[in-house]
This record gives sequence, C-alpha cells and structure tokens, in this order.
Amino acid sequence: MAHDEKLIKDLEKKANLLRNNCFDIFGSTQMGHGGGTMSIIELITSLYFHHMKFDPKNTDWPERDRLVLSKAHCCEAIYAALVELGVYPKSTLKTYYCFASPFQGHADRWCTPGIDYSGGSLGQGLSFAAGMALAEKMKMAEKNANAPQTGFLQRYIVRFDPAYRSYCILGDGECHEGMVWEAAMFAAKYKLDNLIAIVDYNKFSLDGPTNEIMNLEPFVDKWKAFGWWVTEIDGHDIRQIVDALDLTNKLYGDYRPKCIIAHTVKGHGIPAWETEHIHLGRGEVIMRGIKEGREKYADI
Amino acid sequence: MPTFNKHIQIDNKPNMAAMGVEKAIIAAAIKDSRIIAVLEDMGFPGLLWFKKNMPDRMIECGIAEQNAAVMAAGLAAEGFIPIINSFLFADVGRAYNQIRQSILVDRFNVKFIGREGVWGETGISHNTVEGIGSTRVLPNLVILNPSDSVEAEKAAEAMLQYVGPVLLRQESSPPSIRIFADDVPFDIGKAYLIKDGKDATIIATGYMLTEAIRAIDILEKDGLDVGILDMCTLKPLDDEAIIRVAEKTGAIVTAENGSVIGGLGDGVAAILSENLPTPLIRVGVEDEFSQSGKITPQKDELKVHFGLSAEDLAVSVKEVIAKREKLKKRK
Repeated sequence: MAHDEKLIKDLEKKANLLRNNCFDIFGSTQMGHGGGTMSIIELITSLYFHHMKFDPKNTDWPERDRLVLSKAHCCEAIYAALVELGVYPKSTLKTYYCFASPFQGHADRWCTPGIDYSGGSLGQGLSFAAGMALAEKMKMAEKNANAPQTGFLQRYIVRFDPAYRSYCILGDGECHEGMVWEAAMFAAKYKLDNLIAIVDYNKFSLDGPTNEIMNLEPFVDKWKAFGWWVTEIDGHDIRQIVDALDLTNKLYGDYRPKCIIAHTVKGHGIPAWETEHIHLGRGEVIMRGIKEGREKYADI
Repeated sequence: MPTFNKHIQIDNKPNMAAMGVEKAIIAAAIKDSRIIAVLEDMGFPGLLWFKKNMPDRMIECGIAEQNAAVMAAGLAAEGFIPIINSFLFADVGRAYNQIRQSILVDRFNVKFIGREGVWGETGISHNTVEGIGSTRVLPNLVILNPSDSVEAEKAAEAMLQYVGPVLLRQESSPPSIRIFADDVPFDIGKAYLIKDGKDATIIATGYMLTEAIRAIDILEKDGLDVGILDMCTLKPLDDEAIIRVAEKTGAIVTAENGSVIGGLGDGVAAILSENLPTPLIRVGVEDEFSQSGKITPQKDELKVHFGLSAEDLAVSVKEVIAKREKLKKRK
C-alpha cells in the first residue's frame, strides 16, 4: 500500500521535532552521541509515530510492540520521541546524564518506563529481542486451545496473528560482536518471523570506518546465509522506511526473522558531525553542530 | 558422638546434591508453566523427564552461552522463568557481562545452575575456583551453594519461588554425606547452625560441610567442642549469624571448595573485621587454578593437594584457637 504524501510529510516534521529535542539534550551537557543519534532519527520517528503499537499512557501495555535499542548509547533519539509522545515532560530533556534522572547516559529499562531494554554493552540486544519474540509465540500458543500439544516448533510456530512484534535496532559496529550471530542463528532456528532487526549501517564506528576496522561485507549475504529475510533501504528516506516496515508485517507467517539494512550517514544532516563522523562529541563540536541543526531544522 | 541441633540427620552413605536440584525443578515445572529449561548443549537437571513430558518447554541454544543468557532475559521480561544449566565457567563465565548488563541491571527472573569446584578429572578448564568470588561482587544476584541433596532440593525450590536472578552453584566434588532431615527449614539469606560449639566454629559451605562434620569427630577426640554454621546462601551473607558464632567462640575457620579470594572466607572476614574482629583462618584454594586428579574413596589427590580434608580443617581449627589464646595473652 502506497503511503500518501501527507503521512510522509507529517513524519518528516516529527523527525525535525525529535532532532530539536536531541539538540536540547546535547546542549544541556555539551556532550552526546551526535553521530549515531542523527543516523537513526527517521527510523525512530517511523517506528514510534507510524508503525509500532505503543500507548504513551500505558507504557507497560502487554500488547505493545517491543523496541530494543541494542546500540543503547543513542538513547537520546528515544528520549526525544518519548518526550514528543508525552511520556515525559519537555523539562526532562535537560536532566540527561543527571543523577536519578530517567534519561540516563545509556537506556535503562529499570528507571525509565517506556524503555524496553537496558543496553550499553554492545551486541546483546538482538538476543533479548529474540527472547521477547519467542515469548510472544509461547504465550499465544498457551492461550490458543487449537495449538498443537506436541513438538516445540509445531506448537509455537503456527500462524496466529502476533500479539506484538519485537524490533531491534543494531549499530553496524556492534555487528562485529560474535553474539549478534549467535542470536541470528537462534532466531532462524526458532523461526521468529515476529522479530525485526534494523541495522543502522552508518559505516562508521568509534575508531573509524566500520569496514576497515573489521569488514562486515558481504553484509546482506551474511544475514541471508543465517536464514533471514533481508532488505536494504535508505535509512533517511521515510517513505522507504515505512514501506519496508509494512512489508515485514505482510511477510509475517513466512517463518523467517526479518532484517532491514538501513544505509545511513553518521551525524546525518549536521555538517559539523557528518564531516567528523562524530561518535561521542563534547564541547565545541557539539555546540557548533547544535547551532547548524537548529538553523536547518527551524522551519517546523 | 557430637550432638547436633534439630533437623540434622547424618547418613554417611554417598549423597548427590544434584538429585535434589532435579527433584525440585521437575516438581516446580509440573506446577508452574512459566518455568522454561534453557539448554546450552550441556545437559539439564531432569533432561530425560523434560524430553518426555515437556519438550515444548525446552529451548536448546547450543554452545552459545552469551545468546542463551540474554535470550533468557528476554523470556523473563515477558514473565517466564528460564533456568540455564551448565558448568559455571560456561553459563556464567562465558556470559559474565551479558548477565550483568542484560539480567542483573533489570533484576530479570533468570535462574542459573553452575557446576564448579576444584574436584574432577576434567582439569583446569572445568574445575574452576573463581565462581564465588567473581559473582559475589555482582549487585542484584542471589548465590546459593547447597551441601547435600536435601538442602539442594530446598535451595532449588527457594530459587524458583524467589523473584529475581539467582545462581545455584552445584559443586563438582566427591559425593557428600547426607546432612539434613527432610523437615529442615530453608530461607534464602539465613545460615543454619548445625552444631553449637564452645571452642571454635567452622563456617562451611557446600561440599565442605561434609568435611567439617568429619573434622568435628576428630576434634572431639582431642577434647575440643567445635560448632558448625552452614552457609548455603553466599549472597546475601547472614552477617547476624556470623557475628553470633564469633561472639560465642571467638575463633572461626571458613571452609569452601573454591578460591579464598573473594569467596566465603573473604566475606566472613570482612563482616567480622567491621563488626567484631575475630581470629580467623580461611580454608579453601589459595591463589591457584585446579588440575586433574584421581578421586576415589581410597585416594583423593586433589583433596590432598589443596588441603581440603577434614584433617586439614582440624589443623586449622587448632591453629585458630592458638591464635585466639595468643591474642588473649597479649591483652
């Protein structure tokens, strides 16, 4: 189903609001993961404001879609969305990095309702999302008297409409971690077609170009070889993002976990951060980027 | 014959703690459909029973402990109670940071059974010594280390009833003796005073409780009345019970099947130093890895090498009493 122009425009406007919330966060500390956060703004916007089932008034809603931000250092983007959704007041943005703030330096489920996963140690999120996806299958079989009683896969991997889906955003750099591929094997073995991995392929990690540090290519083939359905998109093109996400819904029942490889730019939209492929920026470069960003994304 | 407190029923026949764990897990799995066996290609307590009766509640992750731990966290986040079983170096050691980050931070209800201890033919890789020390430092983790099949069954039951992450250490050791009667009470965090004593107290955990009970006999023949405190819960330690026995006897020997660094001995030493400085000797493995050794009732090369026998404990008890007397004279 083609999405109308209005939806795309509305989401683009939302993305700008999220960017400005991020600038508030970074400005309050003169610090932040500017690069990786800007590369997932459109992905986070599309998930929260179009695709995922999420109730801002009931963040523990059992049927909400789960979002695991495996690259949890870029939690600023989720905080920006949670504020825009009204889960937290705008004043919370300025408490980032502060003691007892719900906006911790890395996403923390325990102290931040609305966050599904406490990350920061990279490479672990996909396993967690897989566990949640498998739990969904098991709970649905439990509820449904028609589910076969014997055989693990027979019992669980039958086509009920999923109560929820499990989304996981990974960084490209963390795909160097071996356990990402343990999780990839696991998800394929248990036929988790309710699990959707989205890789923010921004081509840069902390020390430099991701594929010079440790080559991931042929990246698409790797996921395919592990038994996943894979598609590639421009991770800054909202139309491509929502089309890909909708397609993963339609493909539910094909017994394959899904991987969306989103080609992105680290620091996207902010010249100061794009040119330096900024990871955790501090001081002048962060403030210069915020100034550039506020001018560029002011028309909202 | 030493006089033991209530709920003690010594039987010197070989006794396997693992049997108690298996019994408790099967009984709980029948009652509670949230319990899930998460396998790492290293068996499971009641494996055959699960295969026959509950194959739909077994998840086999293969030899990929990091994924198993974090995937289990995802299951726990959705209300299931996953149990992971392997050698401690594998299910805990290989997934140490995964457990910290993805389980303990959010206090997810994941249970670990980890086999470790110095004894075994398998050698340095599997007979690890660092399990207690490396896990006691982790916040939000309860650590249990039962000594016989009765206590193991109670500990496993308590582990499954408790809401939060638990490590049940299952020791690789020679068979223990049976120590407890079936009606012994068990509470996480409560030590059990097996025997009162006047001259000194041995605070023992896991298999070393068996050696402690043997040591009491030896010491009684030498005219010494020595108490035993069973410390099944290694975290949180029962500091009140520790202080109480130290007050009474003023001489403490700790006994554990693992490194003395960061282990039970260090924990007891810290509590006593801060509250009631008491002469103390820590019996356990010095700063050293284990290795292969023959273990038969006639010959136990590792017990001799590491000084973990009842005779070694008896020597340490006499030494700690001598320390106490020396200190008294100085005062």
